Amino acid sequence: MKDLRLLKIIGLGMLMLILSACKAPPDDPPAEGAFKADIQLDWVPEPEFGGYYAARDSGLFSQEHLEVHLKPGGPGVPTLQLIESGQVTFGITTADNILIARDRGADLVALFALYQTFPAGIMVHAERGLHGLEDVFKEGTLAMEPGTPTFKFLEKRFGFHHIHVVPYTNNLSPFLHDPQLAQQCYVTAEPIAARRAGASPFVFPISDAGYNPYSGILVTKREVLIKHKDEVRRLIRAIKAGWTAYLKDPTSANQAMHQLNPTMDEATFEASSKIQAPLIVGSPGTPIGQMTLERWQTLSGQLVELGLIQPSDPQSAFEPSE
Amino acid sequence: MKPLSGVLWLPPLMSFVLITGLIECSIILMDLPAYLAPRPSAVALALFIHAEELLKATRHTGIAAITGLGMSAILGALLAITLASHPLIRRAFYPYAVFFQTVPIIAIAPMLVIWFGYGQGAVVAASFIVSVSPIIANTLTGLLSTDPALLDLFRIAKASRLDTLFKLRIPGAIPHFLTGLRIASGLAVIGAIVGEFVADSYEDGGGIGTAVEIALKEQRTDLVFAAVLMSSLLGLIIFWLVSGLNQLSLKYWHLGEFKDS
Repeated sequence: MKDLRLLKIIGLGMLMLILSACKAPPDDPPAEGAFKADIQLDWVPEPEFGGYYAARDSGLFSQEHLEVHLKPGGPGVPTLQLIESGQVTFGITTADNILIARDRGADLVALFALYQTFPAGIMVHAERGLHGLEDVFKEGTLAMEPGTPTFKFLEKRFGFHHIHVVPYTNNLSPFLHDPQLAQQCYVTAEPIAARRAGASPFVFPISDAGYNPYSGILVTKREVLIKHKDEVRRLIRAIKAGWTAYLKDPTSANQAMHQLNPTMDEATFEASSKIQAPLIVGSPGTPIGQMTLERWQTLSGQLVELGLIQPSDPQSAFEPSE
Repeated sequence: MKPLSGVLWLPPLMSFVLITGLIECSIILMDLPAYLAPRPSAVALALFIHAEELLKATRHTGIAAITGLGMSAILGALLAITLASHPLIRRAFYPYAVFFQTVPIIAIAPMLVIWFGYGQGAVVAASFIVSVSPIIANTLTGLLSTDPALLDLFRIAKASRLDTLFKLRIPGAIPHFLTGLRIASGLAVIGAIVGEFVADSYEDGGGIGTAVEIALKEQRTDLVFAAVLMSSLLGLIIFWLVSGLNQLSLKYWHLGEFKDS
């Protein structure tokens, strides 16, 4: 009898624990005064967020009557889950992640796409004299995070039968150590570091192989977009102005980000912001941050082919800019 | 004791049904989407659908964890015996043995990869590094806590140091060693999985660490939890194996072992 009572108490305790842990997510910030918005970055402050810091530091957000808080991220920050659970209002991610999350039931909307060209690539040692991305898959080792859409795309397109595929852990030593090792990279980051370390890296962009999702996307959930349409419009306007200013002169924003991320030195900030500029601007006449239905459809089709999502119309996955 | 064995299974089974039932109901009641909290039934379904890959991954990780644990057992015990042999040696080297306990595997992972290459070598090394500490610490405690009266007896009988070590101190330290081994069994699995995050080779699909990473990237929370369950299962199996070894080897020395394990 005593055991039974104990069981009941434990059961009740557990129920209460579960219920209290899963309380309803906090409401959106109050609309009175300046509109408060968190933007969850998916990495530490680096040039890929330059326009956001430029907008913050030159008062573009407050001009639009917005109180924006930029939250630096790191490896494995669950941006989309944070947005969906209401812990942050906006976040930065890539288009493929948005479509996969939508397929899993999250109603997320892309608002602004920074990179018109996907900045991901495969970095090899120039000494190998490889002529194209296909040569990477003929011999040697490839260090890459498994399970990403890019991984699946390359596996399907080139096959991994002739190479040794191993994890990539955001560290260059295996690359520097092994002349036959190729690795995933962002063209704006690892090649600069590898060159600094004395290697001569050569990069094959993934976009050249036909996989080119929008990235550096500002994303939110539909609920926010519906409730705060005007605030979102003002936010995008400020972000666009921030990026335009950053592309013109990244110096002061780079300095501000260097303060927050001192492990990346100022020369690297400068080099990286130079490399990323053409990926942002895209073809002449394309306004900054713009997205087209056609490209979302191409991506959606590719993800269906890779078995990552069910077929669906990506029309509502993004908000066309004005 | 035999007739009780059926009853012994009942409490864990009851708590399992209760907890999973509660979680399932809470998720349904609060209408939580799968990517925030997968339902236990969805996890069970994922376990069923992906049984083959998950079992393969578990075997892959299991081999690495058992090898790592085995190395920990042998090298840890030898290290403990060395440390116990003289107070000076102990004072000089014991602090460095503690080092193993604090190594963040992620930080030294690139070195492991360079020393052992990608694949099982580096994974076993990670499992070893994470699991060796409790074995050293426990075995050393056992070796140093020999009954002084028995030591006196050996001295009176003019037993050699080696005789004292093999016939008195080591047998006396075995229960401590096995306790260390039981603690290390779970750590060996964790070590292997963390090792796989950084050094697994994907040729045969990889281990549980790789399965978790892929499921995370594909935003399949049900599959993530299914893989986590497999790692718990693996931990339990290794724990049972060690406990079995425990009972077998202590049968004649320590009858107390039977009463509460």
